[in-house]
Amino acid sequence: MDEPLPEPRPGLFQRKTTRRALLGGAAAVAAGGTAVAVLGLAAETGADSGSHKAIIPGISADPTATAAEELARPIEDPRTRAAHLLRRAAWGGTKAQIDEFAALSREEAADRLLNFEAIDNSALNARVTAANFNLTTPGRGLDKKRPPQTRDMQRWWLTRMSYSARPLEERMTYIWHGLLTTQLSQIGVQRAKLMVTQNELFRAHALAKYDDLLQAVSKDPAMMIYLNTIESTKAHPNENYPREVMELFSMGEGNYTEEDIRESARAFTGWRITPPGREKPPEGISEAERREFLDQLYGAYDPKWRFSAADHDNGQKTFLGKTGNFDGADIVAIIMEQPATARFICRRLFKEFAYADPTDETLGKLVDVWNSSQHDTKAVVRAILTGDEFYSMRAYRGRVRSPIEFIAGTVRGLELETDFLQFEQPAQAMDQRLFEPPNVAGWPGGEAWLSSGTFFGRVNFADAFLRKGNKPIPVPALAAYTSPDDLVQGALDRLVDGNVSDEARAAITSHVAAVSNPQERAVTAAYLVLSSPEFQLL
Amino acid sequence: MISRRDFVKGGVALVSIGTTAQSLLKGAVAFAAQNSAYVADPNNKRTLIIVQLAGGNDGINTLVPASDPVYRSSRKTIGLPEDQVLPLAEGFSLHPALTGLKGLWDDGKLAVVRGVGYPNQNYSHFKSSAIWQAGDPEMNLDNGWLGRTLEQLESQQHDPFLGFNVGNSTPDEMRTPKIAIPSVTDEADYGVKVAGKLVPTTEARTATMLKLYEQYPSNSPYGVLLETTADSAVSSSKMLQDAAKTYKPAVEYPQTSFAAGLSLLAEAITSDLGVRVGHATLGGFDTHNNELAEHQERMETLDGGLTAFYQDLQAHGKADDVVVLTWSEFGRRVAENANGGTDHGAASVCFALGNGVQKGLYGDAPDLAALIDNGNVPYTTDFRRVYATVIERWLGVPSEALLGQRWDPLGFLAA
Repeated sequence: MDEPLPEPRPGLFQRKTTRRALLGGAAAVAAGGTAVAVLGLAAETGADSGSHKAIIPGISADPTATAAEELARPIEDPRTRAAHLLRRAAWGGTKAQIDEFAALSREEAADRLLNFEAIDNSALNARVTAANFNLTTPGRGLDKKRPPQTRDMQRWWLTRMSYSARPLEERMTYIWHGLLTTQLSQIGVQRAKLMVTQNELFRAHALAKYDDLLQAVSKDPAMMIYLNTIESTKAHPNENYPREVMELFSMGEGNYTEEDIRESARAFTGWRITPPGREKPPEGISEAERREFLDQLYGAYDPKWRFSAADHDNGQKTFLGKTGNFDGADIVAIIMEQPATARFICRRLFKEFAYADPTDETLGKLVDVWNSSQHDTKAVVRAILTGDEFYSMRAYRGRVRSPIEFIAGTVRGLELETDFLQFEQPAQAMDQRLFEPPNVAGWPGGEAWLSSGTFFGRVNFADAFLRKGNKPIPVPALAAYTSPDDLVQGALDRLVDGNVSDEARAAITSHVAAVSNPQERAVTAAYLVLSSPEFQLL
Repeated sequence: MISRRDFVKGGVALVSIGTTAQSLLKGAVAFAAQNSAYVADPNNKRTLIIVQLAGGNDGINTLVPASDPVYRSSRKTIGLPEDQVLPLAEGFSLHPALTGLKGLWDDGKLAVVRGVGYPNQNYSHFKSSAIWQAGDPEMNLDNGWLGRTLEQLESQQHDPFLGFNVGNSTPDEMRTPKIAIPSVTDEADYGVKVAGKLVPTTEARTATMLKLYEQYPSNSPYGVLLETTADSAVSSSKMLQDAAKTYKPAVEYPQTSFAAGLSLLAEAITSDLGVRVGHATLGGFDTHNNELAEHQERMETLDGGLTAFYQDLQAHGKADDVVVLTWSEFGRRVAENANGGTDHGAASVCFALGNGVQKGLYGDAPDLAALIDNGNVPYTTDFRRVYATVIERWLGVPSEALLGQRWDPLGFLAA
């Protein structure tokens, strides 16, 4: 977006510009400028590329800066900076947390999130224990009283995201789930528990060396089922995992050949998981009892990686220029040496926290950290969260909020108390289901989160989530305000840093002022801010 | 602060169906279309429905060379028996589950294009899908091929349903920053709700919420996207709800979400919402294992959905105006793997369906005895010839600029 803007041409569709460039930030003005020129209105509006820049409603732009300079400008207000960090790295902050982080230096703030091992998480653990989620057993049980496992798994994780005192741990777990994907529906609901096992693996490796994470996930039962590792034999090496581990989990397309895929597939042959128990259902039981028996069996099934020598190809393999009798772990180790892996993972982490498309210089700095720390993701994330780019106006509201970020951000920002018993149906139309990415590439994210259907999904989720039965739920964070002005300002401060246009504030306030019941008035203010354009961005 | 309102004061005719203004960019496209050498034929109301078979459909078990000795020897487990497939012509037969499509073939409404692919096949789902969606193996053209086509079909009177997607997010082939595409999965959820009930956009809280989008400056982050998305959502929701009041499917659609989606497309088409390009997706074609059963189920779902869709349109007198085209990012290898499945392959087949289709097998049949890249079917027909056919001969738009070069149309649609 720093490039000179293209000359207006009559054939709009031929213009070379990316959607991101067109829709995001300053370039939207560029596009507007071009279109205006096409319409012959340039003289009237004075629209040209140099005179306009990205505008954050509520934040005044530097009148002397160019568009590029404006984007590079740091976010100035300390509370806005703190809220930005907490939104990106911690699912959003409460008012107290924003105050706390506003007083810290960049390094102190990042370290407070990163060094989470020392943080007491007993309140979350007690909450999880009390909720008694069904994370193990498929089916509802003979008396149909057991909660559905796949729903409870989502409630369990949303509870962790929303109430953990170590939010970055959950954030990283979510990032790894979106990158090192497995689809629950593809491994089968009977084996849903293995998704919990995988999720705990991601949590345990939240800020690990990437080598350790990639080695571990290569032997993760859910992953091995999902990408067919367990079916790979010497006679018929399966190429699914070797292909995806290189294309999607490490190097990216274009950095290896089809021959590398075939050779590495031979190395993963013979990787298996231990089978479920062999107990047979007793004779003469009913179909329901038989199913319950199998559900219990799968509930107790805790598979481990094992090696089947008979299925393994012990021959020489040539992979990315090296030759040897490699196994899967050797392949992963060679992948980890590749410069493409450094760039791919650093770029991904930068995108998760800051924005897409870092410059070569920015990426280069992260790759240096990656190399000097032996691929330590904690060091890379720390570099991102303390960098100028992260705290720039380009990063501020530079990402589209995902539905999960919408839900967790709502709960944290409004300090809601929820058991997530009623989230599943209303969340559906927002189009993101935990443990169920759309395919092996994960959620595409970005602009793909916003379509006409998901727009309704978002605003209708806010409508449903703020009610229980036909009554508005209590919103503790907004309960203390008495005047409509204070109430709306409170909601805006908590959810969108108070940065909206005067017109938007006035429109919300005038609507809210007409609602007389205090609880109804609070959820109305919350709904309008959650539904606002500003809250759809992160 | 310059709002979109300020931009659009210049006098472009705007249509305001919902409460928000149409975006500036739509007006700009309309203007550009009017002033370019070519103007899309306003009398052409034909509709193209694209069906994506996601995951890499096994073309060889879809259009089956059942008696080919290479086929028989390569697919001991998943080869379809010669006495069960549905014969078409030239030794090719349909998968046994495609009974409805076989009937349409017999009635002269179905064409199959063989060996469809592109040079230097990419075997990644994502890269190959991206190539098909861009309509360009070099990935030099902007946006999606249908997005570029829709820009040419855009008129001053913007139809919110010009492009219509069944699904949650805009498919990449329809993407263009200039035209918002309604994406619908469930009609019952497609609108703004208050306390869980759909309300008109005049309802007070809803009107306030929409005002926030109308006021949001276009030069703020994602300003154009946010406003056009809200705008498109509101206009299309109203139209769809009105259409739902009168639309009655003439046939019973199968109980699959694929068929439900096609029924939604039929609703929009039979209600004359101005759909020129529709899109639906059927997934689950990545049959690395247990292909016989899984592919059978996919074929049943495809056949049931497309057959009901055709019959519904036919009963509503619309089948003359609609062509369905299927595509998949690649085919699968000729030889089965050890898990009763097949791995990522190269060329595959496309179906074209409708009263306007000229029955037949198009494109040369690939030679299964002369494979490329470790056992793959070489392409014989560039996928851009298929695109050129529907762009020119159905939608009535010259294809050369849209596809970056001249591609000869195929004969499945009349010149």
